[in-house]
Amino acid sequence: MPVITFNREYLFGLLPKGTTPESVRETSYKMGFETERITEKEVSIEITPNRPDLYSAIGFARAYKNFEHKSKRLKYELQDASPEFSITIGKEAAAVRPFIAGIVAHGISLSGEALPDLINFSEKLSETYGRSRKKIAIGLHDLSKMEPPLHYNAYEDEKYIPLNEKKERLFSDVLKGSEKGLKYGHILRGTGRYPALKDRSGVISLIPILNSERTRVTNKTKNLFVDITGMYREPVEKTADMMASIFEDMGASVRPVSIIYSGSERLTPSLEKRYLSIPLSMAESEIGISVGYNNIISLANKAGYEAALVGNEVRFRVPEYRMDVINEQDIVEDIAIAYGYDFINPLPVASSQAGSLLQAESNFETLSEEMLGMGFSEAVNTYLTNESLNFAGMRINDISSYLASEKIGCITLKNSKSASLTMMRTWLLPSLLRNLGSSVHESMPQRLFELDMAFAERRKKISEEYHLAAVSAGPKANLNEIKSVLEEISYLADMQFKARESEHGSFIKGRCAEIILHGAPIGIFGELHPEVLHNFGIEEPVCAFEINLDLMYDEEKTASSKSVRKKNSGN
Amino acid sequence: MHRYEYTLMNALKGGKPIGIAELLSETGMKREELLWAVENLLHRNAVEAERTETESVELTAEGQSYIAEMMPEENLLKKASVGKLSVSSLKSKEERIGFQWAKKKGLAEISNGIITLTHEGEKAIKSGTEEGNALRSIGKKPESYFSLIESEKQTVLNLMGRGLITIKKKREISWVKATPKGLAELSEERQADRIDALDKGMISSGSWQGREFKPYGIDLNVERSNAAVRHPVRLLSRKLKNSYLSMGFIQSTGPIIEPAFWVFDSLFVPQDHPARDLQDTFYLSNPGKISISGEESAEMIAKAHIESWGGEWSKAEAEQALLRTHTTNISVRNIRKVLSERHEDTGSGGLPAKFFSIGRVFRNENIDYRHLADFYQHEGIVISRNLTLSNLFHIMISIYRPLGLELRFKPAYFPFVEPGVEFYAYSEKTKELIEMGGAGIIRNEITGVPRKNITVLAWGSGLERILLLNDSSIKSVAELYNGGIGWLRNRRMI
Repeated sequence: MPVITFNREYLFGLLPKGTTPESVRETSYKMGFETERITEKEVSIEITPNRPDLYSAIGFARAYKNFEHKSKRLKYELQDASPEFSITIGKEAAAVRPFIAGIVAHGISLSGEALPDLINFSEKLSETYGRSRKKIAIGLHDLSKMEPPLHYNAYEDEKYIPLNEKKERLFSDVLKGSEKGLKYGHILRGTGRYPALKDRSGVISLIPILNSERTRVTNKTKNLFVDITGMYREPVEKTADMMASIFEDMGASVRPVSIIYSGSERLTPSLEKRYLSIPLSMAESEIGISVGYNNIISLANKAGYEAALVGNEVRFRVPEYRMDVINEQDIVEDIAIAYGYDFINPLPVASSQAGSLLQAESNFETLSEEMLGMGFSEAVNTYLTNESLNFAGMRINDISSYLASEKIGCITLKNSKSASLTMMRTWLLPSLLRNLGSSVHESMPQRLFELDMAFAERRKKISEEYHLAAVSAGPKANLNEIKSVLEEISYLADMQFKARESEHGSFIKGRCAEIILHGAPIGIFGELHPEVLHNFGIEEPVCAFEINLDLMYDEEKTASSKSVRKKNSGN
Repeated sequence: MHRYEYTLMNALKGGKPIGIAELLSETGMKREELLWAVENLLHRNAVEAERTETESVELTAEGQSYIAEMMPEENLLKKASVGKLSVSSLKSKEERIGFQWAKKKGLAEISNGIITLTHEGEKAIKSGTEEGNALRSIGKKPESYFSLIESEKQTVLNLMGRGLITIKKKREISWVKATPKGLAELSEERQADRIDALDKGMISSGSWQGREFKPYGIDLNVERSNAAVRHPVRLLSRKLKNSYLSMGFIQSTGPIIEPAFWVFDSLFVPQDHPARDLQDTFYLSNPGKISISGEESAEMIAKAHIESWGGEWSKAEAEQALLRTHTTNISVRNIRKVLSERHEDTGSGGLPAKFFSIGRVFRNENIDYRHLADFYQHEGIVISRNLTLSNLFHIMISIYRPLGLELRFKPAYFPFVEPGVEFYAYSEKTKELIEMGGAGIIRNEITGVPRKNITVLAWGSGLERILLLNDSSIKSVAELYNGGIGWLRNRRMI
């Protein structure tokens, strides 16, 4: 989540008089934002990504003051709606980065911390909401150094003097050889063109990478021009509205710019009025409170909405700077926050329905208790593993022929950050052996079981299956010991387990068998091969079994339905 | 004579010295029983014994931490090799320690205030420092100390000097032999004919009558008997299940391996949302995609995305196979199921429907001794008419109160709920308040039904953090899983 760091002096200068660090913490929390830290110089607050309007100290202070009923700033309108100049969009821009909006702010003061705050805001917004400038990018220019009207198009490679430089450079050179170019150049990859904004004297910005040195903004800039570009119209135009509201709050006078594309014209920012109406009862019933008509207006103001009663409904004017208010639900949330989550009384849901566990869950509980009764402690291990643990450590060196013989495929990860996590485990015994290997100094015998999931591809389908595995380590561990555990499980579950001698790389030859139920293999047991024990750092003999419970229950079900059929046909 | 002493003396009656291992196997006594008897007999000169001294090596807590995170000088070298690192920029204590050692060992030099690596330092980056390698080797295999002290004496001594390893000396008895005095005591004891172990024959024949029993040493320390125990995570999930069941919730389950559609798109998470990044989510190479063709809700979801987030919605993106990052995929599947079964029914039949699930979720993390990539989550939903935020709070409080936790609610943002809630839990036991999880009312864009007809309350939270909050002996999530039986045996089941 974005953490926004404000200059403390600048922010506190904008907040109501008498605001303390403690009240900033408490009010932010009530608004839904966690204060990370307040130092002598800085205030860092975690702002949720739906509220980019709070990424600037100006916007944050506006919401704070509304919330504290310290001042009302509920609506923004253009004093002079006539466009200052025009931006004509060329045809080639459509394929590369089609949308642009412009804002003009006259008489702005950018001295002191105002400019750093504005730059901070536009960088953070382009990074988060703007998806690292892909969806939204913002450029700030000194209007007095520009010669409008402007043209926006995607051009061939050409030269201009980039910001912070003295000499002309080619667009292609900026992409390959500058910090911003290397960071954001990939956005233009494959387009073969360079989107750029030009005035009558040439390029003022290579979009969305780097502005020109010529239109650089300083703390003395009095007249500001902002360009906002992106892939979709709505986010671009809403960002323009949001920035316009900030400039208004900074005391500037905002003028729109006319955007011309193939004969049609739009004005940005538009600061268009938008209303949403909700019956009072809807807000009350969704939150579970009762506020009444008078209070709802005051709660709306607290949340930054101008509101009025229209018939039976409350009409909310959506603040022009909010981009996250999609419909009524969003307003209900703002009312709930303004009311205060701490004041909402918990009320029970009436219902007489009985709860229940999954059928499998109760079977698993029974099995686990049986294992505990036989002295096995319960292990829980991670599902993620790697080939060397799942196969090589278990003396399975030819993985593909092993998988073929088991008739399974592996579920593998594409983008793991950890080299030790590459796949989902196909069985549980490697996990249990790792458990034994990490407690060799504990007294013997050590008995562990795990009843949990393993993953495979069976017949081209993903199989998320439950297994039961157990290990018993100690000087006396042997095949018969583990076989007697299986006998007990088989007896208690009333299933006819049979053993069929088998060979398996992980087990000692002649001391390994498949567990068979109704003729089908459902698992394996035996004494682990000394090489496997050595691989896991285990110093005592270990006997073990593993059953695929999904297969076990399937086999049992098929067999019992067959026997029912037999009975019926016998009649 | 105590019965342990008697058993031991019987084994020594030949008068020859016998080693401890042999005595253990011959008498079937436990080590502590045997040693207890030896000490008693030595005390009254009934036996003689030889003691030898053995050494073993152990890592100190500091040594242990460097195994997990590399030696401070190794970390410093790594940092200095990446970019310009000036001496004045070293802030943490660890960095300064690292720098001092690197300089002392001739691995780094200063020129103009910038730390540069020497030839030795360059080498150490690739293959580790001598001390680092020695420490790791001892950490992995304590016995390797004995060969290292031969081959790299100075390095090992340095580790000792830095307080990273300590040598424990242990005096052990190697053999025991009966003295003439002891043998005399034994024959006297035999004549006394006291009962050692009571057996079946004695009980049925009554032959114990008129005889004395050899006494036990009540003060003898015995090991505790190791119970087979359940895992703390399972005990906690049982408590949670009980909470849910008592409120009439039905347990539910769903796939771990999902197409992005069920984990993100169906929950209104935009396709370019950072949570979907490769950085945070495990995508799969096999299977690379899972088809969502035939998924009835796909069209509605696509429409909601395009309308609300602008731009396009890609089916291919939604079909990418991944490991779920939350169990909310189960909830959204349940919402679909309940709402599609209800059709046009606007009555309250079958409502409220309440589901819960407990299952594993995954985050693409760099794993180490503190961090894991798989976790447990519990999650629930209530589907009904006229549900409120106040109902949600009540349910949440009822789930957590039996665990000894009090909740506080804070506004929060998640793409799939509105209003959104983050809840914090306070533990009376540890006096700590930590962030627990998220909750809210599911957006209409996800249910596809206006709120006046159907409201869905939802919440979810990690299980591990509940354990951490309630049990201060558990230091990190990572120690819960993949550990040995020793960890389980040392839990208190409270």
